[in-house]
Amino acid sequence: MADALNKDVPHTGGEWKPVPLLEKIKQEGRVWEDLAHQYGVENPDPPWKTSLEGMCEVLGGNTCDTSAKLDKQWLAGQADRKAVGDAAPLPALERRWEEDELAETIYKDVPFPERQLLALAHSLIKRGLVNEGELAKRLQQVHQRLNSA
Amino acid sequence: MSKKHDHGHDHDHKAAPMVEEISDFEALEIAVRELAIEKGLFTAEDHRRFTEFAEQIGPTPAARMVAKAWLDPKFKQLLFTDVIQASKQVGVDYLKPTGFGTPSDYTDVRVLEDTPTLKHVVVCTLCSCYPRPILGFQPEWYRTPNYRRRLVRWPRQVLAEFGLSLPPEVEIRVEDSNQKCRFIVMPVRPKGTEGWTEDQLTAIVTRDCLIGVALPKPGITSNIKLQVMHAPGDSH
Repeated sequence: MADALNKDVPHTGGEWKPVPLLEKIKQEGRVWEDLAHQYGVENPDPPWKTSLEGMCEVLGGNTCDTSAKLDKQWLAGQADRKAVGDAAPLPALERRWEEDELAETIYKDVPFPERQLLALAHSLIKRGLVNEGELAKRLQQVHQRLNSA
Repeated sequence: MSKKHDHGHDHDHKAAPMVEEISDFEALEIAVRELAIEKGLFTAEDHRRFTEFAEQIGPTPAARMVAKAWLDPKFKQLLFTDVIQASKQVGVDYLKPTGFGTPSDYTDVRVLEDTPTLKHVVVCTLCSCYPRPILGFQPEWYRTPNYRRRLVRWPRQVLAEFGLSLPPEVEIRVEDSNQKCRFIVMPVRPKGTEGWTEDQLTAIVTRDCLIGVALPKPGITSNIKLQVMHAPGDSH
């Protein structure tokens, strides 16, 4: 039965390996649910969620400039429809399928939207769009900056 | 003694509680975004526009459309013949919800009308397509393979898990969203709402009602809090 059920859920065919930096965040990071409870905050979503959504949109090629230009070229018969899809660094459908797979495996025990964020970072690292080492360095800088005030 | 002074407000109010620490997840979101902008994957300006879009969307426009249609037969006719024009009457230009267009939502949208013997429910089996300009962001459960896979096979059982047990004589129709077409459900106006205003009716048309996993009821204005589960065999 399980095989039959799995059949119609798209699968990217990729093998997922844990990324040490993201594993550390998964294990040590405090999720919004806990923080909100501790500090008595009622907002159900972390403040960074809308920014994450914005990031997913623009990585999917939904940028004003890129889309408008390519759409015009395509409508004018000057560009192939494929070019519109290829303009996306991380096409929405691929990102969602990868998120599905990661949410059911490596990040199974992480709540939403933290696992959406981890999955996005994972997809970017897998594609070489972001490097794990530079991300670790930037994370350290961000922590220093935000905690310096 | 009041602490009111000459700039027109007092300081007796208590500040709303805040989370006073930077989590690793918050830092990760910032770090990924900064690197992506530096690498030219997108611009800060594009990101700002889409984030603002994400901050202002919610289910109220769709709920108001349903409430208006319950009250006004002319609006109902418009809703079923030209939903784009109908969305403009509740303050949303579905084709350009951000003012510059969102290509992933630049699609057709349709309204599915329930009857006493027909219940519609919406899913996206492929990913999580959703009419965001009028309904906001998908709830977590809508995104899960568990809901997407099981609803099309066992709709009656899945709806029962949401607390919606329908008698056998009610047909359940599952509609699959996709990149080109998105849906909202127009439930049957519940008894006990006679004489209600548009605002009162809007309040009971919850997000769950608009997806089709709940029915509107006087006094119920919130969505179900569903424990998200993974389906058996989902460890691929």
